Amino acid sequence: MDIISIFEQGLIASLAALGVFISFRVIDLPDLTPDGSYVLGAAVTISLLYANVLLPFAILLGALASGIAGLFTAFLYNKFNMHSLLASILIMTMLYSINLRIMDGPNISVPKESYGEEVIYEEQTKLDFLFEDTNNTESLVSNELQKNENFTKVFSIDIYFLLFISSIIIFLLYLLFKTEFGLALRGFGNNKEGIKNLGMNPNIFSYTGLFLGNFFPGLAGGFFAIYSGFSDVNMGQGIVVSSLAAVIIGEIVLGKLNILYNLLCAFIGGIIYQFVIALVMKYGYKIGFNPGDMKLLTSIFIILMIGLRNEEVKKWLSLKRLKSFIIRAR
Amino acid sequence: MKKRFFGVFLVFSLFVVHVFSLTIGVTQIVEHPALDAVFEGLKEELSDMDLVYDHQIAQGSFQNATQIAKKFNNDSDLIVAIATPSAQAAANSIKNKPIVFTAVTDPVAAGLIPKMGLNSGNIVGISDMLPVELHMNLIKKYFPEAKNIGLLFNTGEINSKKIVELANKYSEELGLNTIEISGSNINELITGINSRSDEVDIFYLFTDNLVASSIELLSEKMKEKKIPVISGDIDIAKASSVIGFGFDYKSLGIETGKIVRRIINGEKISEIESTFMPGNALLLYLNLERAKAFNLNIPDELIDNADIIE
Repeated sequence: MDIISIFEQGLIASLAALGVFISFRVIDLPDLTPDGSYVLGAAVTISLLYANVLLPFAILLGALASGIAGLFTAFLYNKFNMHSLLASILIMTMLYSINLRIMDGPNISVPKESYGEEVIYEEQTKLDFLFEDTNNTESLVSNELQKNENFTKVFSIDIYFLLFISSIIIFLLYLLFKTEFGLALRGFGNNKEGIKNLGMNPNIFSYTGLFLGNFFPGLAGGFFAIYSGFSDVNMGQGIVVSSLAAVIIGEIVLGKLNILYNLLCAFIGGIIYQFVIALVMKYGYKIGFNPGDMKLLTSIFIILMIGLRNEEVKKWLSLKRLKSFIIRAR
Repeated sequence: MKKRFFGVFLVFSLFVVHVFSLTIGVTQIVEHPALDAVFEGLKEELSDMDLVYDHQIAQGSFQNATQIAKKFNNDSDLIVAIATPSAQAAANSIKNKPIVFTAVTDPVAAGLIPKMGLNSGNIVGISDMLPVELHMNLIKKYFPEAKNIGLLFNTGEINSKKIVELANKYSEELGLNTIEISGSNINELITGINSRSDEVDIFYLFTDNLVASSIELLSEKMKEKKIPVISGDIDIAKASSVIGFGFDYKSLGIETGKIVRRIINGEKISEIESTFMPGNALLLYLNLERAKAFNLNIPDELIDNADIIE
């Protein structure tokens, strides 16, 4: 297994998980917008590359656009008193069409060199004789290789870069959650009415939380688009679910201690989740599983992890019990 | 002792299998009849070779597609990528091993290769582009009263976008209109048909995955509305069309297998052309029963050239 690349992908997925962690856990507003804002981040990033924007700015602007999508969800939540789930589903659905507009199609690759050729079927077929006059096989290929010089990789998205970015983000979020505002944000998650009693405007917190909760998935989308070389309108499918799974796995491994550990949960969980998928891919087919069973296997693994944390199960699995079982068996 | 010996033997035999046969990593974005047929065709073409297939499906998740590509970069000798997103993920992650893409309509726009034909690099493959211009001519010539061509497709599929663009271009040249009916799932598509089919004189169906997987339902709808269908995909044609001219995905898999065979036999990637489906592999399908239902006369010149008549 290529452990480095699994780490890289895990770190990118962790950024999305971080966003989901903020909306689901910190401010306690279930938010499905990341399914769309992840793609928005990717779409804006790559489209800006075609418009000669430098890569770091393109990624940052992509993430900001996603954050703004989160603001719209918060707007629906606050102004129309919608449930955050409904609000986010509406915004997510809107983003599908918006992403199609931004990319001008369902899929766009990072700028690459090409001859500007239009791909048209040029083979001779047996029906050509019916339409003699229309069969023009003039080649449209120009001889000049068009290099997109606006896309020069300023930095490569490798594991060091991702670790660097992740640690900066964890540090900044840790600082944020330690400030008075950050504490209030967490308080908002615990008790939405209580914040009002303290004389604070609760709207600010849902706006901030949902902005951050979509900013990071957008960032992850931008990174993933550069990392994998393209952006596709369907690539956001299931981001919220897998991120939530990652957060839960992280919580099982690290436990709920303080906010720093909670922030790390997303990262640990994201990496473990990627490892599970890699293991299923590597060994699943050798023991006779179909490619189609992958979702089943990963879900079973997660259920097992959650199940093993259960006290009853732990007792059941305890050594004493195991010993007595073996003795009895003898 | 016997058991241990057996265990060692088993491990050893696994080892031997993996040393002496090539591993072909097949990455596919989603489970789908047309795409599965490509894999079937590939296996059929290469059935005489001693190969180990590692067939991985990303379940529609692009993160998984990238991870599959990274995995193949380590443990496969040759990679076959089915459909655009899987090919893009493979192209970006794998630089030193041969990649054969297939079922990609526009590999240039997808950023896989700089042009069709010979290219340097480690990527070669076969495009499933259709002779759209020919299809539009067929409509013009054999359905002279049809002015509005209905195009059914999934908004989320890059392959369809390219064909829709070409269909718009050529139908305009021929003085025909197109009516785009699209959706991101089958419900939206059916709603689109219900609301706009009155304007449509003939439907042109092509290699869209959503249309392919719901063709039974769609063909019922079209029979109900009495709108003839012409198709660029033989499997779709069999279920719905009066005239179909194109290929089925299994033969696309067979053509892909031929490229794989050339690479295994030692040809360099830079010596192999990225091509379309060869013209002689395209089949003409005619359905006289449906033609009768629409009071259409199929001319002899088509019947003489038909490969499948029902």
